[in-house]
Amino acid sequence: MLAALGRPILSLAAALGRPPIAFARYMGELAFLIKDTAVSICTAPIRWRLFLRQVAEIGFRSQLVVGVTGAFTGAVFAAQTYFQFHRLGMESAVGAVVSVSMFRELGPVLTGLMVAGRVGAAIAAEIGTMKVTEQIDALRALGVQPIDYLVVPRTLAMLISMPLLVAECVGLSVLAGYFVATQVLNISDAYYLNTMIKFTTGRDIQMALTKGFFFGIIIVFVSCHQGLNAREGAVGVGRAPTESVVISSLGILIANFFLSFALNIVYPGGI
Amino acid sequence: MGDDTQPVIAVHGLHKTLGTQEVLRGVELQVARGETCVILGRSGCGKSVLLRHLIGLLKPTSGKVLIDGQDIAQLPERKLLEVRRKVGMLFQSAALFDSMSVEQNVAFPLLEAGIKDPIVIRERVTEALDMVDLLGSEQKMPEKLSGGMRKRVGLARTIVGRAQCILYDEPTTGLDPITSDSINHLIRRLQTRLRVTSVVVTHDMKTAFHTADHVVFLHEGRVYFNGTIETLRATTDPVMTDFIEGRSEESYA
Repeated sequence: MLAALGRPILSLAAALGRPPIAFARYMGELAFLIKDTAVSICTAPIRWRLFLRQVAEIGFRSQLVVGVTGAFTGAVFAAQTYFQFHRLGMESAVGAVVSVSMFRELGPVLTGLMVAGRVGAAIAAEIGTMKVTEQIDALRALGVQPIDYLVVPRTLAMLISMPLLVAECVGLSVLAGYFVATQVLNISDAYYLNTMIKFTTGRDIQMALTKGFFFGIIIVFVSCHQGLNAREGAVGVGRAPTESVVISSLGILIANFFLSFALNIVYPGGI
Repeated sequence: MGDDTQPVIAVHGLHKTLGTQEVLRGVELQVARGETCVILGRSGCGKSVLLRHLIGLLKPTSGKVLIDGQDIAQLPERKLLEVRRKVGMLFQSAALFDSMSVEQNVAFPLLEAGIKDPIVIRERVTEALDMVDLLGSEQKMPEKLSGGMRKRVGLARTIVGRAQCILYDEPTTGLDPITSDSINHLIRRLQTRLRVTSVVVTHDMKTAFHTADHVVFLHEGRVYFNGTIETLRATTDPVMTDFIEGRSEESYA
């Protein structure tokens, strides 16, 4: 009787235990990748040409998608805020709401999601293809560390590009919000600018850039890890970018919650 | 490299388990300086796994892999750099970097070794491409090359750094008989002109007969046969003769 009951209970325990173990294992692999990359940055020569190529790919070529996202989000956010605040006669506060929200939350998150989709997927696909076509083994056989050659240039480029892309996204969103509020919704530009400048502080800008930096870390390491661990065949290579986008996006959204609380201690909100 | 009497490659008691499968079960192997050793065996018998151990791409579960007397089995990745300057590898798929032209692929090991002079690099690349009969293809991209040409470029990339030992992973697999023959001649030519030590993993008997000084037959994760090409031709062992003559146990009836 006990034996008959024991087997299903063991199977259930095994089934329940598998996801946490897989999660712990995944986090451990990511931690080792981050450690190896940090060691490589400190000890191995940096390939500046590859780094510049990645800055162009990750930073320069992402500007359009990030800029359009920021501008239209700022514009629609200003409009929606106006529709609500108009009833209360608080139109002049629209600028402050748009600006602070974009700096502290929406700007970094939207930039992170767009870069995860555009760049993270490309990193995972490129490294994944190199993995299954033995190009990564060829690098190793030629005495080149894949971390030095593939991960370090992408990491450095991402860490520099992400804060700048966040700044661009937020800047354009604030400009677009200002344009819609003053030119389309006829809010007085003096009141709009006054409240916006009054409520937006240097701490909000620092928070936006810091979040961008952390989201860059999530995107680049998740994507490189997916690429380096891509499985053989078309399915394996196809899965790497998809999983990279999904994991990076979820990671950004979850990390944003905790970062908002943690960074609020360093850069407290409000005036 | 070390003294001439010491084997360039020596493998002792090599065991490798991948997942739950024990692929290598105590392999013993010695390759003398300047000889071509051909490792034969059926698909999935662990030939390529053994080859990957010889350049440190895989770490053994247990056992020793000595290159010039130095055990590389437990060396960390960054310490393997010196070994990989001495030992080059031609991959089954050639593994060319597909974002680079033929010239850039062949120049890659030189640039990574810190050679900066473009004249020296061009001379060495031309010399390597001449050796594999591919002069004039410098600007082509890998996707424009045939399978045989890709292997030749891969070989040029392997020899451009003046490796003293070359590992070939299935050099003729997937090639037509004439291209296979030209690759076999190339392996032989490199051995006589550059005096390199070669280890060739294959299941192509023609490659074995054309290139081998010494043949090793892997069977069920162990060395089943180890001898000269003449001994191989004379063997009457049913496992070996079935393989040499390409006989399965199935009938056509």
